[in-house]
Amino acid sequence: MAGFEREIVELLPRLRRLGRVLARAPADADDLVQITVERALSRRGQWRPGTRLDSWMFRIMKNAWIDETRARSRRGALFSPPEAGEGVGADGAAEMETRLAAVEVERAMANLPPDQRIAVALVLVEGFSYQEAAEVLEIPAGTLTSRLVRGRMALLAELGEAGP
Amino acid sequence: MTADERLIAYLDGELSAEDHAAFEAEMAADPVLAATVALHRSLEARIAETYAPVLAESVPPGLTALASAANDPGRRRSAWPQWAAMAACLALGVVGGRELWPERGLLAPEGPALVARGELDKALTLQLASDTGPVKVGLSFKASDGHYCRTFEAGAEHLAGLACRRDGRWEAQTTTAWSPQPAADYRTASSVVPPAVLAGVDALRQGETLDAAGERAARDRGWRP
Repeated sequence: MAGFEREIVELLPRLRRLGRVLARAPADADDLVQITVERALSRRGQWRPGTRLDSWMFRIMKNAWIDETRARSRRGALFSPPEAGEGVGADGAAEMETRLAAVEVERAMANLPPDQRIAVALVLVEGFSYQEAAEVLEIPAGTLTSRLVRGRMALLAELGEAGP
Repeated sequence: MTADERLIAYLDGELSAEDHAAFEAEMAADPVLAATVALHRSLEARIAETYAPVLAESVPPGLTALASAANDPGRRRSAWPQWAAMAACLALGVVGGRELWPERGLLAPEGPALVARGELDKALTLQLASDTGPVKVGLSFKASDGHYCRTFEAGAEHLAGLACRRDGRWEAQTTTAWSPQPAADYRTASSVVPPAVLAGVDALRQGETLDAAGERAARDRGWRP
């Protein structure tokens, strides 16, 4: 397959991971990835070769997530909370303890306001620099910093004491 | 910059070299600050560990097929003038029997199944694990429903997966993006199978994977259960 499509296929695991941070329930996360891929394919003319495809697709996912969240709240159908044990780490072989720790982190992430959650996801899960994350989110660096600080402080307040 | 902003910027490696060094000097003199940094570090690790397993999961075949669908722009334009609008209507993996990939593609949807085509179909049907070709076949085994299943890696397509023989065709169970590793890493047949595909093997197989003689015998019987 051609380079563009191949790069998208190679990005799918990371898109699914970011989707899981945003939408939490695996089925919703994969819906989000599907919408993201469809939009990327239909707008491929807007991607400038030589720039980062991951940043471009994360930006598409961010916008798709906002659109989808709004559409669902109008319909009264919010992203569903996952069934117990359905989220990440739900591998049958996974240790129960690891899974409980993962569920706690997922819950704490889900409790963050969406703006803070995605900022934390890009910097802590994806390892983006502040500048890269600000570009994905299309916000000034100062806004990114304040969302990140509030998000990280809230996570520490919720999870810090109950650490492993 | 507030104290919290400075702390977080330090944690994320966003301070200048000078400010970074100054912060570490403060930490050395302030056990409370050092403990706060340690708490944040352990939290960072927990968050990364929580989401890391998603990377090892097998990608649903429908997503891989969707991302690969536009691989021939000429064909796409002529066959699907309103691709983007149509794509939004398509459920994952259900594509109305249309062929998503061009003729030389490896997988095509048939009803709800993704079925091996071309080189992939040929390799799964005829090749042994010891054979080489554009598509490499790895492990072969019998699934709990009695059908034979085989893992494959297609280097040029950056695709690996697991397919089972049902009704005279190979149906993909799992596919994942995959890149060939340097040849030095190929020690055994199983060492080339990506973890996501191996997870599929473990979920389906009944008993051991086939040895070379068992594989040859199953092939010679046309993979009939």
